[in-house]
Amino acid sequence: MFTAAAESFLRQAREIQEEELRRFTARVSALLQGPEAGPEAVDGLQRLHLSVAATKYPRKLDGKFVEQLQTVLCSPKSPEQIQVLCAAILREMSPCNDLVLSCDEIQDTKLLSLVSSVLLAQGSRGEVAAVGQRVVQGLERRLPEGQSARFLLPVLANVISLSPGSLTEEQTNVVSKKLADWLRYASIQQGMAQPSGGFFSSPRTKQPAPITEVDGAVATDFFTVLSVAQHYTQDQWLNVQAFSMLRNWLLCYGGKELDTLNPGPLKKEDGDLQKACLIEAVTIMDIICKQDSSYVCRAVSCLKILHSRICGDATYARALLPIAQFFLNHSKQAAVDSDAIYKHLFSDIPALLFHNPSLAFEFVQFCKDNSQLFTDASSIFRQSFPNLFKFLAWNSPALISEFVDLLPFLLDPGTAIEIFHLLLDLPCLTAALDIQLRAAALPASEKAGADPAGKPATCLEAFHHPLYRSMFQYLLRSRAAPEDAPDSLVPLRQLLGSLAGSPRVVQCAETVPVLLELFFRVVAEFADGSLINQLVVLLLQRSDQLYEIPAFKEDVYRVLGSNLAMLCGLRPALVVELSTEILEFSGAVSNIQSKEAIFTHMAWAVGEFLSVSHDKRCTVEQITRFFETLEAVLFEITQLRPQASTPSCAPRAISVLMATLTKLAARSQDLIPRVSMFLSKMRTFVQSPAVTSVYCEEDLEEILIRATELMNLLKMPSVAQFVFTPPVASTRFQKEVNDSLPLALRMVTQLLEPAAGSMPV
Amino acid sequence: MVRAFVLLAPGGPAPCRVLYARTFGTPPGAGPGGPRQRLRRKEQLLVVARQVASQCQLLQASLGRPSSPQLPQLPDEPVSLQDAPGGVFQMSPGDPFPERVTVVWLSVLALAFALVCEPQENLSLAEITLRRLAPRLLLSLRLLGPGADVLLRPDAADGLLDRLLPHGQMLFLNERFLQAVDRELGLKVSR
Repeated sequence: MFTAAAESFLRQAREIQEEELRRFTARVSALLQGPEAGPEAVDGLQRLHLSVAATKYPRKLDGKFVEQLQTVLCSPKSPEQIQVLCAAILREMSPCNDLVLSCDEIQDTKLLSLVSSVLLAQGSRGEVAAVGQRVVQGLERRLPEGQSARFLLPVLANVISLSPGSLTEEQTNVVSKKLADWLRYASIQQGMAQPSGGFFSSPRTKQPAPITEVDGAVATDFFTVLSVAQHYTQDQWLNVQAFSMLRNWLLCYGGKELDTLNPGPLKKEDGDLQKACLIEAVTIMDIICKQDSSYVCRAVSCLKILHSRICGDATYARALLPIAQFFLNHSKQAAVDSDAIYKHLFSDIPALLFHNPSLAFEFVQFCKDNSQLFTDASSIFRQSFPNLFKFLAWNSPALISEFVDLLPFLLDPGTAIEIFHLLLDLPCLTAALDIQLRAAALPASEKAGADPAGKPATCLEAFHHPLYRSMFQYLLRSRAAPEDAPDSLVPLRQLLGSLAGSPRVVQCAETVPVLLELFFRVVAEFADGSLINQLVVLLLQRSDQLYEIPAFKEDVYRVLGSNLAMLCGLRPALVVELSTEILEFSGAVSNIQSKEAIFTHMAWAVGEFLSVSHDKRCTVEQITRFFETLEAVLFEITQLRPQASTPSCAPRAISVLMATLTKLAARSQDLIPRVSMFLSKMRTFVQSPAVTSVYCEEDLEEILIRATELMNLLKMPSVAQFVFTPPVASTRFQKEVNDSLPLALRMVTQLLEPAAGSMPV
Repeated sequence: MVRAFVLLAPGGPAPCRVLYARTFGTPPGAGPGGPRQRLRRKEQLLVVARQVASQCQLLQASLGRPSSPQLPQLPDEPVSLQDAPGGVFQMSPGDPFPERVTVVWLSVLALAFALVCEPQENLSLAEITLRRLAPRLLLSLRLLGPGADVLLRPDAADGLLDRLLPHGQMLFLNERFLQAVDRELGLKVSR
């Protein structure tokens, strides 16, 4: 943790002045020049390092001193700790202008590695290339006595990672050959390998070491993952290093010599490492097969056996991913049916292991890397989206940005509705998964406990209860099931309400608005009229059926509201086609209070699109019916003496309702007198004492101004009609509901009411 | 390859602090040279640290634990990493590194350790590497104590990294090799 002492040192280091630093540097310099650089020099260098590292802006150190650091670094007489500190300071200052460092003259491989770390930090292609050359040179020749190539391999790995073109083809071949030798050599040692049973007890009797247990012919073409020996030697080190860098080497360079390597048995010493090695080996096989397809057939048979060994073992689940990737890349060529592998991966694994954050991440990465798989609507990949969302539901903060990338690939006309519901119920899914985990952890005796006749007392009891079981099963399903949706999940949502405050559920709920917004954006691109209509109806329905988390509901309403307006803009005719549902929603006064965002946008859409110019089927009766419905609502909320039951609502809702009524009246001019009378009463409304205590002054003034403008507009009905009937061509709207309206209104108002000062005094 | 290693104090209410950071080489031609290159490096690492701190706090919250445990353990008590929370996340290209990176992190008490990996890296090995680095750093730098070794002894951290993560190369070290490394470093790590 960040201790008080650390805080103090950091502050001192940041505040040290140039002059003081110069003096300190001079002292350290003197210490370094002395015959034996002792603990004082070490201490000085350590403090100097902190001074340099502590600030974002670079510290200027004396050029001569920087040169001295380099000299000390390269000098074989310097103690190792001093060398390490000099390198640390030089790296921290990088990029350095005063660097005269070069690795050409350095014979000691450990020192070469250290100096390289400074050179590679400069960000210079020339330096990287020079280091690369020097290292290859070191590997080609016979090293002096006592020196090991062990320290050179990581440098080489870094060089090719930073700048893959640093080596010539000839050099690449030389290194490949050496790597192959080192990988092959250790296998000879395997003959003396000792049983490892003494280290820890092995719970499994079967050792998944498939690379070596399949028929010998296959095994000889692939290398061993690890060798274990009584004593480690330099060659064993080289084996480890070579294997560790092999994947990157192959990716950058291929390596013909590496195709024929001798294996050794895979010994179990460290369970986790073994799994990591397995993953690495499969990945390397994949790379080799990509580079030389003659290996595919044999690799396929090997990996099929491997898969059958590990697919039942949850601890090996992460290894299933590179195996599946291999088959995706090569099975077509090998004419092999790998559907069973994908099916197991997508159907079983997420349901079982959604709570493993590393697996969750890698699984989603796998989906992203192979996103083309999801384009086929009937495939197991696409059908498994309910399973995929379990990863997100449980590990929301880590995976939300990955799902933002993935969601578009899951959406199509066939899945849109189901995914809409799924997104709205995502926090419920989190709660249900929590219960599923807890239920699984119960001892068997407790599982059967609940009395089927009575009501369950807890969520846990409800999990197996007949009343709730099918709802849980639906929520926790593995595959898309649009036909199997239960009539309602309302009872389940209510039951899960007790978990609505759990941190994991809340974190999941926070991701929903983002995904919902994205959902609509993607769906808008392909949705046809029927789907749009379906979504609007569902949107209004679901607004009553959301998981009870207040902040979640607010955010969802906001997204649903604005996208409702967007959908209406895409297909204005829906206002007529869905008039029943819309009237029902708009007529419920409670909606204006509890779901203001949706209500306001709905009212706006009615005003905007309910006209014969958008749909020939729009009749005068329909306009009148909408008018009367909204008029009743507006009447209810603008009572002069509001009762306790009168809902209070946002002033914006009042404004939008007034504007909508005005627009409708402009289209059916019989309604104009009613609206005008209503609007003229708004002055009384905003001045009523009961009302002024509820709304603030600015809001009331805004309402009054709006009412006045609308009234003025109606005095010129033909103008009003023109203003309120936008050309049909403009179906995309970008701005907030009332933006363009005020401008039009003010223009007209100025026409009607002479500006102050223009009247004769 | 690993691009960088970061050791940080995630804070909680307090802002997160980078205690030690090491990058393994600078990709050439990737941006401005000179002092701006250095500044960019420092800021990139700070962005990583902040993201790790945020993920760490969110995970602690979802596990029902306090986000910044105040109680330092005694240095000689073995710190169990079995249940140490950790995670993986990705950072998009341009934010903050030019290319996409994957960050693997581990949290121990009031500290966090993170590896910034190139995409497609072996994440299982990255987790193993972190679980090996963490206790050794805790020990060498006396991270649970009241001192400021982490700031004043970069050589100790560098020495560990040179063995377990040389030039950002993760190593498939079995137990024997690991013991050998500990012997070389003069460390007594409880097993």
